[in-house]
Amino acid sequence: MCASCGFPAAPGHWTEAGSAGPGDRLRTRFRRAQVLKSVLRRYGLTAHDGAQVPGIQIGTLAGAETIVRDLEELWCAAETMLGAPVDPLDPRFLEESEAAA
Amino acid sequence: MSAEGRVRLTVLGGYLGSGKTTWLRHQLHAGAYRDALILVNEAAETPVDDALLTEAAGLEVLAGGCACCAGRDALVALLRRLADTRSRVRSDDARLDHILLETSGLADPGAIVAAIRADPVLVHHMVVTEIVVAVDALHGAAQLAGEALGRRQVETADRLVVTKVDAAAPDDVARLVATLARLNPGAAVSGAAKGDAHPLPDHAEAEPIALPALSADDAPIFTTRLTLDERIDWPAFTVWLSALLHARGDDVVRVKGVVRTPAGRLLLQSVRRVVQAPERLPDTVERGTDDTIVVIGRGYRGEDLARSLARFAGAG
Repeated sequence: MCASCGFPAAPGHWTEAGSAGPGDRLRTRFRRAQVLKSVLRRYGLTAHDGAQVPGIQIGTLAGAETIVRDLEELWCAAETMLGAPVDPLDPRFLEESEAAA
Repeated sequence: MSAEGRVRLTVLGGYLGSGKTTWLRHQLHAGAYRDALILVNEAAETPVDDALLTEAAGLEVLAGGCACCAGRDALVALLRRLADTRSRVRSDDARLDHILLETSGLADPGAIVAAIRADPVLVHHMVVTEIVVAVDALHGAAQLAGEALGRRQVETADRLVVTKVDAAAPDDVARLVATLARLNPGAAVSGAAKGDAHPLPDHAEAEPIALPALSADDAPIFTTRLTLDERIDWPAFTVWLSALLHARGDDVVRVKGVVRTPAGRLLLQSVRRVVQAPERLPDTVERGTDDTIVVIGRGYRGEDLARSLARFAGAG
């Protein structure tokens, strides 16, 4: 348990397995935040991970915000905020993001 | 296979009376799973199977409740106890390294994997290395046609063993094998008669059994191979896969593959929504199948997977 934030040391989520060391872990977090930000923007959501606090911050443009521990929780939070899950295979998402690229 | 200090868990499933115990009994007799502790789960209150498995190195019985639903807490408690006992033994001494769990005929192996993954203690101690499912050559076709559970068991398997091959007509067996190959194209299929390996008839020409849809979303399962090129890095891949499993976990039955990451080669596998803690594989051999992910599922278009992953990776 982290004394400052109360986050219990979770068993490593599978998504965190790909980093070789502390520096790489930080790089992975920044890159992950970058990907999330750009995907969630299309749904009117924001994501932020400044690596200052544990977890990823996810919010709506209206200001509702929450901190989640890992990607699994993040998609649950996104579903709560949107009322529907973010579906990577949604044809509208695919077409819009391909048009934007 | 290295499990990074964790206990390897083999799950043996299959419908009621499909020949799980007979197969296991013969495997034990032939010397396989000799190192393993055998856990037998029976839905009925009075256990019978343990009397048949006398050749096992160690045997524990979980009776009175199927381990994937009613008896789940009992299974988790038993596995925790085993993990606890094992932790008291020094790692260089002989200790429990392999457990084979024979499920009850009513169990969904996927639910058992999920229960182990969801337990904060067991996730550090156990890794499911293989799901073996026995399919009855005589009654398998009827079970697949009429029982959603029978299909779920087949879909989650890594290895399918068609039992009682000697007792069924070769044409029927060929059709069953063709059906299995359609339901779960990723699994290896072998035959057995009274537990002994038995050749399967050629199923290349055989017509798969037409399975009636049991519910609206019961389209046939298919396999998609995804190649991860250098543009797709680990963070983008995990964001994509976690989103995919969250949104489509009921459709994406299985994901398997080896991914190269800065931390080494990782063996990744999931059953429905549950992803196992990736296992680090030795770096010594360069394999052609690295960075290829096999996705087994239904209810989407295969080409959309690659499109969608490319969008996630190109994002930002």
